[in-house]
Amino acid sequence: MAERKRQPQARDKLTFLLSLVPFLIDHQRVSVTEVAKVFDVTPDEVRSAVRLIAMSGIPGDTGAYQHDDLFDIAWDAFEENDEIVLTHLIAIDDAPRFSGRETAALIAGLQYLSALPETRDNQALASLLAKLARGSSSAPQPVAVESKETDGALALFRDAVARGVQVEFDYLNAAGVRERRRVDPVRIESIDTDWYLRGWCHLRHAVRTFRLDRISELVVTAETSTGSAHSVSIPDTLFEGGPDDVAVTLDVVPAALSLIEDYLPPAASVESVGELRRVSIRVSHYHGLKRLIAGLPGLVTVVAPAEARRAVAEWAAAGAARYADSTH
Amino acid sequence: MATKQNVPAEERLFSLVLALLETDLGLTKSDILSTVQGYRQRFALGGDNSNLERQFERDKDDLRELGVPLETLESPGEPGNNQLSRYRIPREGYELPDDVRFTAEETALLGLAAMVWREGEFSAESSRALLKLKGLGTEASETVLSYVPRLRARDESFEPLRSAIDRRRRVAFDYIKPGQSSPTLRTVDPLALFLFQGRWHCYALDPATDTRKTFLLRRIVSTVSTTGTEFVPPSGDLADEGLQELLSLWHERTATVRVDPGTDADTRLRKRRDTTVDGHTFTLHFVDLALLADELCAYGPEVTVLAPSELAELVTRGLDSVVAAHEGAQDG
Repeated sequence: MAERKRQPQARDKLTFLLSLVPFLIDHQRVSVTEVAKVFDVTPDEVRSAVRLIAMSGIPGDTGAYQHDDLFDIAWDAFEENDEIVLTHLIAIDDAPRFSGRETAALIAGLQYLSALPETRDNQALASLLAKLARGSSSAPQPVAVESKETDGALALFRDAVARGVQVEFDYLNAAGVRERRRVDPVRIESIDTDWYLRGWCHLRHAVRTFRLDRISELVVTAETSTGSAHSVSIPDTLFEGGPDDVAVTLDVVPAALSLIEDYLPPAASVESVGELRRVSIRVSHYHGLKRLIAGLPGLVTVVAPAEARRAVAEWAAAGAARYADSTH
Repeated sequence: MATKQNVPAEERLFSLVLALLETDLGLTKSDILSTVQGYRQRFALGGDNSNLERQFERDKDDLRELGVPLETLESPGEPGNNQLSRYRIPREGYELPDDVRFTAEETALLGLAAMVWREGEFSAESSRALLKLKGLGTEASETVLSYVPRLRARDESFEPLRSAIDRRRRVAFDYIKPGQSSPTLRTVDPLALFLFQGRWHCYALDPATDTRKTFLLRRIVSTVSTTGTEFVPPSGDLADEGLQELLSLWHERTATVRVDPGTDADTRLRKRRDTTVDGHTFTLHFVDLALLADELCAYGPEVTVLAPSELAELVTRGLDSVVAAHEGAQDG
């Protein structure tokens, strides 16, 4: 799941301009690099936005954009010291409201985060939601996300990451093996309903991803994290591949492609085979694969290798055998 | 002021906002087209300006979409004559109210909330919300940097439904009801979207029966087409009402399963919402029996359905079909 940085469009650029002006008003004198850091843009993007602002204004009584009808900046400070000082203001005094859609995106995002210890204070969260609604230019769009109970493990992991200490827990992997793991926790990630811990696993001597719902007997130790995780870069994709991974070919009902998207490598090729789509995924073992395929009956079929087909067939047959007595 | 022909779109939009914020009485369309930066360069005095007028219409839509409240004041003498209408942006509707300011902790939390969306339109909208938030100049407290949350809305019908909700338009789509094999055409007024148990649902009003219904987006199998019919949504927190309605179904419907101790099914079903555990027998809640069946199929022999019998049948049928599809040496 590669994260593409979107090209900013005119709307994004306009929003930047409308947000930058009140920021500059508040800060009176601020360096280009500081602004770039705050808004997470390049210094050049800041400079060109400032130039645009400095030359903008209102048509004025004459309709000719006279000097007094335009913003102005301290040009010497800008050109010699890379600093921004607004010296003449036009029309804008304050930050813009959020749109109904923007407010909805933030509110739904906050609801999604209700499992986090940071949102445990219901009163603070309610006040934040109310403030957002007041700051919206129109009624927030009706989009909601089911709220979750705060997960106790999340709070402990967050705390361990912040303090830089190791954690220890029992982990049941997809192969069904339970092992005691000692981990330098690095960060907590989620995809939809699933939450994961990523960190340096002392048992495997590598960065590993652990599903929170497979973790038990968690203990936060007093030992400082080793820092081994900082020597390797942690990929953005949650399911990192290994050298021993096996390629598995699948036939997928087109509508179900999105259901296995997370397992597809970026820019995976999709071939049409009759009504179906043929794709290839890489798996480290068949334990996860058989669960994935059995959970999508009629939608996804393993084509090759034969060993993978057999693993899936055996898994499903073992499941069906549980009903053999009662279905007479 | 350079009178270059190609004024970038953001400069034209920015100039339009400045001009409309500054005016109290409003500007007419011809004032705008003939004087505002970005339009005036393309304005033909006494000529055909229909392209430019269309540009203005698109720009108005863009501004409204961004949350800029653009007002149209009809001419008292000739209402309906849009050549005489005046446009303005009321300052109180544009500016964030003074009491809407965020603490460092709130700013951090909102930054995280915006990060939840990485794909699609919601992602673009949260990025813009984040820019506005940054403009307020409050630095985020750093306690939440260790999270990378992601939420997706990959159903193809998600954006069309969201836009129909915004525009209050009746929609039509093909929908497969659980237990049915062929879809039926549904025509409904979409009211809200909500995520429940990892799946997006649309809460809608069926105008034929005047009843509210919940549709699972995954079961919408055609494109969502917008009809010309506009509707007036009922008042209230519709997303929450939809969610509560589904929750009451969830609480009502239960299935019991036997789980092998120490397995993945044991670990994960135990942590599923509202599960009650009695030895190795778990009571699970659900809304859609067919989806629960798929979920249980994944656990293979680790879980056995005890009740209801329809669920046991669905799971058996699912597993049998997986076996049938994977039998034989069809190695390609």
